Amino acid sequence: MSSLTLLDLPRLLGYQFFQHALIGGLITALVCAWVGFFLILRRETMIGDGIAHTAFGGIALGLLLHVNPLLTAWVVSTLAVVTIAYMRRKGIAHSDAAIAVMLAIGFSGGLIIISLAGGFNVELFSYLFGSILTIDQTDLVIVSGLGVAAALFLGIFYKELLSITFDEEAARLMGIPVTPLSVGFHILVATTITLSIKVIGIILVVALIVLPGLTALQLDLSFRRTTMAAVGVGLLSMFLGISLSAVYDVATSGVIVFTAAGLFLFAALYRRLS
Amino acid sequence: MTAAPAIEAQGLTITRSGATVINDASFVINRGDYVGMVGPNGGGKTTLLQALLGVIPAAGGSIRLFGRDKKTFSDWERIAYVAQDAINFDASFPLTVRELTGLGRITRDRLGRPLRQEDWHAVDEALGLMEMDDLADRRIGRLSGGQKQRVFVAKALVRDPEVLLLDEPVTGVDADTQKRFYKKLSDLNASHGLTIVIVSHDLAAVFCRMSKVMCVNRDVYIADITDDLEPNEILREVYGDHFHFVFHRHECTGVFADE
Repeated sequence: MSSLTLLDLPRLLGYQFFQHALIGGLITALVCAWVGFFLILRRETMIGDGIAHTAFGGIALGLLLHVNPLLTAWVVSTLAVVTIAYMRRKGIAHSDAAIAVMLAIGFSGGLIIISLAGGFNVELFSYLFGSILTIDQTDLVIVSGLGVAAALFLGIFYKELLSITFDEEAARLMGIPVTPLSVGFHILVATTITLSIKVIGIILVVALIVLPGLTALQLDLSFRRTTMAAVGVGLLSMFLGISLSAVYDVATSGVIVFTAAGLFLFAALYRRLS
Repeated sequence: MTAAPAIEAQGLTITRSGATVINDASFVINRGDYVGMVGPNGGGKTTLLQALLGVIPAAGGSIRLFGRDKKTFSDWERIAYVAQDAINFDASFPLTVRELTGLGRITRDRLGRPLRQEDWHAVDEALGLMEMDDLADRRIGRLSGGQKQRVFVAKALVRDPEVLLLDEPVTGVDADTQKRFYKKLSDLNASHGLTIVIVSHDLAAVFCRMSKVMCVNRDVYIADITDDLEPNEILREVYGDHFHFVFHRHECTGVFADE
């Protein structure tokens, strides 16, 4: 058990590893909450979980090829998400079945690569469960780059994406390029998942995607305010999660998710009682 | 020189899955017309509207919009459409009346650009026209059926269209609300010169309120609604010989609660 207390937080902020963790974590939380909110409204949250598991194959590939695993994970996730969208559009499989197929292919691909290569089990473990406190300069550059790209896409096409999410057919009739924007959005989902892997890990990434949006939805606000509340909840969960886990020396990704879940429960209770 | 009609179809044939849904239809809808589209369910009304919007290709014949062949027509902002199932959305969707109406201002040439002050002015004006300004900040899931219709019409109007196509917008709404809705559309037609084509099963509203009736059941018949028009003559063409619609023009007076 750690001998630190919350009063040591200002001192922790002076450490570079902690700064990296906070910056990487907050960027991830912001984008996850924003993208996740759209995914909830599109009823596609499981796509987040499926793609995260598919990315496992990409991580293993990166470790095998000695390329940054986040980059190979991004390529594999993007291919997976585009394939899921294609299978759905062409009527080859419904959304849930298409996600299950890609999840299985990606994960089993990862297992085959591990068994062929051997020897990087410990490193893989950090991608499965996240290792935010070991984020280095290169990771931070990748996370920041992907995060800024994701935030720009969402910021620019915010109202078009909302229109498609609310009524795809009506959006098409209004002249909104539904297919290109949907493909763009799905690539954004893959990007978001990739930048979350180091922070929260493949297994728990879906929590960062779902919980902030779901919490915000309990508050019964306008779309704009619900989006802001979701992002706020995501950032707060991340900050509290990282800080508490550093102070009490417990698994960071677990604390982040528990904090987010606690905020959700609080909001749900507030809604029941108000 | 007179302006070209808003919509003109010549020998229009539409097929779906190999079956003919609209057969060799020719009709003209002039600017400023208020057209009631009637006919039995499955008769092809929605298909016809979707063909006019370019969603479904025509198997034969031609459609001209504002004098231009539909194949080369690109000015789709001039035509707004409210779908049959528009009001059947997820009631928990976190969107206010004002936000939903604002989505109507998205146009092809301004994709990715934020809405400006003038866009929000147009939104407030459209909500005012539809008497929904008091409810601008209400979540759309909390509206009544009649209020939902009016918001979707406001969302269509905010595009400042010249033609408004409405596919059975009053389904599932009580009779008084329906009447108020038709009155509202009449006012828009009269005051703004808006061309309106509305699919409706309310024959009294069509023959009392509108300037043309369009009967659709694979074949399409269109007629000006005048004092001389005998409704049953045209209605039997689509509903069959057994159909009898009891209608006396003098009964239009007082039909609508607000008159």
